[in-house]
Amino acid sequence: MLVRRQAPFIILFITISILALLPLFAVLGYTFFEDGGLSFESIRLILHNNNIMQTMQNSLLLGLYVMAATTCIALPLAVIRTKTFLIKSKWLDILFLIPFMTPPYIGSMGWILFMQHNGYYEQIFTQEAPFTFFNVAGMVFIMSMHLYPFLYLMLKNALLRMNGSFQEATLIYGGHPLLNWIRVTLPLLLSSYVMAALLIFIKTLAEFGTPATFGKRIGYDVFTTEIHAYLSRWPINISGATSLSLVLLSACMLIWYIQNIISRKYTYGIHSGKSPSTASIKDSILIRYMSIGYVSLILGLSIGVPYFSIIVTSLLNIRGEALSFSNLTLRHYGELFTVGSSSFQALMNSLSFAFAAATIAALIGFCMALYIFDAKRKSQQLLDFTSLLSNIIPGIVFVVGLILFWNSALLPATIYNTIWMPILTYIVLFLPYSVQYTKSALSQLHPSIHHSNAIFANNYSVILLRVWLPLLGQGILAGWMMTFIISMRELVGSLLILPPSVETSATFIYSQFEQGDVAKGMAMAVITVLLTILCIFLMERLQRKALHTS
Amino acid sequence: MNKLKLTTLAGLFTSTLLLGACGAENNEAAGSETAADNLDNMITVYSAGPSGLAENIQEAFEEETGIKVEMFQSTTGKILSRLEAEANNPVADVVVLASIPSMEGLKTEGKLQPYEAESRDSFHPEWSDEEFYYYGYSATALGVAYNTNQIDFLDADWSEFSEQEWQGRVTMPDPTSSGSAVDFVYGLTNANESGWDIIQSWMDNDLLVAGANKESLDAVITGDKDVVVSAVDYMTYKAKSDGEPIDIYYPESGTVISPRAAAILADAQNMEGAQTYIDFLLSDTAQEMVAEAYILPGNQSIELNDRAALDEIPTLPVDWENAEEKQIETINQFTSMN
Repeated sequence: MLVRRQAPFIILFITISILALLPLFAVLGYTFFEDGGLSFESIRLILHNNNIMQTMQNSLLLGLYVMAATTCIALPLAVIRTKTFLIKSKWLDILFLIPFMTPPYIGSMGWILFMQHNGYYEQIFTQEAPFTFFNVAGMVFIMSMHLYPFLYLMLKNALLRMNGSFQEATLIYGGHPLLNWIRVTLPLLLSSYVMAALLIFIKTLAEFGTPATFGKRIGYDVFTTEIHAYLSRWPINISGATSLSLVLLSACMLIWYIQNIISRKYTYGIHSGKSPSTASIKDSILIRYMSIGYVSLILGLSIGVPYFSIIVTSLLNIRGEALSFSNLTLRHYGELFTVGSSSFQALMNSLSFAFAAATIAALIGFCMALYIFDAKRKSQQLLDFTSLLSNIIPGIVFVVGLILFWNSALLPATIYNTIWMPILTYIVLFLPYSVQYTKSALSQLHPSIHHSNAIFANNYSVILLRVWLPLLGQGILAGWMMTFIISMRELVGSLLILPPSVETSATFIYSQFEQGDVAKGMAMAVITVLLTILCIFLMERLQRKALHTS
Repeated sequence: MNKLKLTTLAGLFTSTLLLGACGAENNEAAGSETAADNLDNMITVYSAGPSGLAENIQEAFEEETGIKVEMFQSTTGKILSRLEAEANNPVADVVVLASIPSMEGLKTEGKLQPYEAESRDSFHPEWSDEEFYYYGYSATALGVAYNTNQIDFLDADWSEFSEQEWQGRVTMPDPTSSGSAVDFVYGLTNANESGWDIIQSWMDNDLLVAGANKESLDAVITGDKDVVVSAVDYMTYKAKSDGEPIDIYYPESGTVISPRAAAILADAQNMEGAQTYIDFLLSDTAQEMVAEAYILPGNQSIELNDRAALDEIPTLPVDWENAEEKQIETINQFTSMN
């Protein structure tokens, strides 16, 4: 009986172990075990290396800077979207999602092309930029322009939820509006802010695309680029890569722990007493213009400039000549869509890998979510935590683990060097999305549904087919699309684990920048972002439909 | 009770899924087994560029011999790393590297298989191994490429790029990702006692070291920088023929010629196919394709395509003896400078 009771847990736990836990243990094992004995030699070597201290410092400072910069960008945006007439412009949120969903390496390539000497900036304004862009500040700027939407959405939702009795109470009893803000609103925002800001910090540490393109140019090495270099640069240093992965892993775990403490300590019950904001908003002309100006400035910088650069580059015939209509051509797109060409093959690979990974991840995520349900029992909590691991552990650590695990001599069979390897990697990296989307869809269901299930259904496949799938379908599909979009753009894992002669659109773009024809790479980038934007719109529609039906 | 059954169901669902995945995996394994049975019909080649040429040769080879080629294209550094990472599961049959010292390295580690190709005699003897472990089927010379929109004419020697005039205008491929750049740094510092001083003076003059060969050439094509030192010449000729504002010359004090060599790996699963591939690389058909891509063919009787011939390029007197051992040292010293 006990075994039967535990069967689903055991099966799910074995699945997640093979996917995520064993690769992580492989990293640990490779670092600490040598010839069968415990050894701290390799980690000691790494920590004694001067470059590594520099790399750590670079990574952590970058994280702090980006955290500060995204705050400066996102907080005013969140206030504008909740306190001014722009509160009704829901479509803005979709626009703000675009920079976040744009692959970061494409964004930074766009900025490099725009700001470099004789780049598009100088061609348009016919003078040099009044500041130097190619330094740490430029890198922080590019990464913040990619990550701010995440913080913005969290802050905006927190502000919206707060729009109730607290606001009214401060209006009645409080003093100066500014004081009200500082004494009431900001402390209430704190827990949401800390959570989002620390996630931004972790995301910055885990980021590979921008450091690999822009950071390399200014000689700013971080954890991810160093780990990648250890694994792909001659002479190869696997134990260096695993040791560095462990350092990165510990840093992220620590941050996650701090975030847990803070959010537990400073969470207030702000969900209760929600009342719709009754008074219609009347802004002065000045505030209106300033709001519109600020929103357009941010959108222009985060979407306008990088998209302009990549689109123009993909259309240029001769890159050494100036911008002019006679120098434009569509031939790079023609080459891209020639059936059988390597670029077309890469695009198809990306689509099919992402499709397979998203589908399998959606299935596993669905089962996980059903089991985790409300996470009351210990086993449910354990599974909940493990399934969300890749949210707090940088992708490159998993990739290192997956390479070691699937190459280990102990395995009877391996999928290494087959196309299942990238698919598996995408599933491991992006499983949290499908789990979370299904879980949130599940939590929105009214308890009466569970009760009626218990009373009326006698066959469990009926529950599955006629209750869960239709009700959770939209959540699952949204998770599927999310996984699909980010699998399609995944770079560092693909660079390290793709079998020979297989390329994806992400590695294709990267290698065009490194070795081949940048214009062709940028044409591929345009196609990738178009597909991404299409998916964002579809997802938005799905979610709106889901809200209507439930 | 209901929830228990529900979770059982969920579990069953997952196990079906897992079984499905296993089934798929088995299929995959079975697939590679049948491929293993037909080893005669497939070889795996790890090739360090040049991308257009490698694909053309692959196509022509497949057409002529009916052997299918799985090609992994990358840089010399990445291919070496990949070979090492896959030591437990060797996949490649043939390896093509853009650096002879790296090839020598593989040879001393016993990773190569010698093969006496028929047409070996018509090839440049200095580019290939005396014991037939590898064949230099083509070569590139490393020159100085410059943007013709910014500079009308240039014939400066290496050391002149440390002058004030060139501050922040010069770039160079990164030796950690470009095999030919390692050869260049090694050659310059080996043939010239003040070689490291010259490189240091470039660094002091804000030399940009970023990415592989194409990346640094692109910086000059777009006008970000004005000059590439250690520019791979065929890429420059190709860009020039595409109409880009760029030209190349070889400094008078001499430069480094970097042969691209092909070899068979000792772990090759399809030895016969690999030998056929080497034969094809040395054939006139492939050698003409090499010349067509503005690269110096290993067979010197092949006609060149609109580029400087080998005897027109001044070379540095480099001692390549034991270069492979000093190569890592060279990379380390280079990366520690800035």
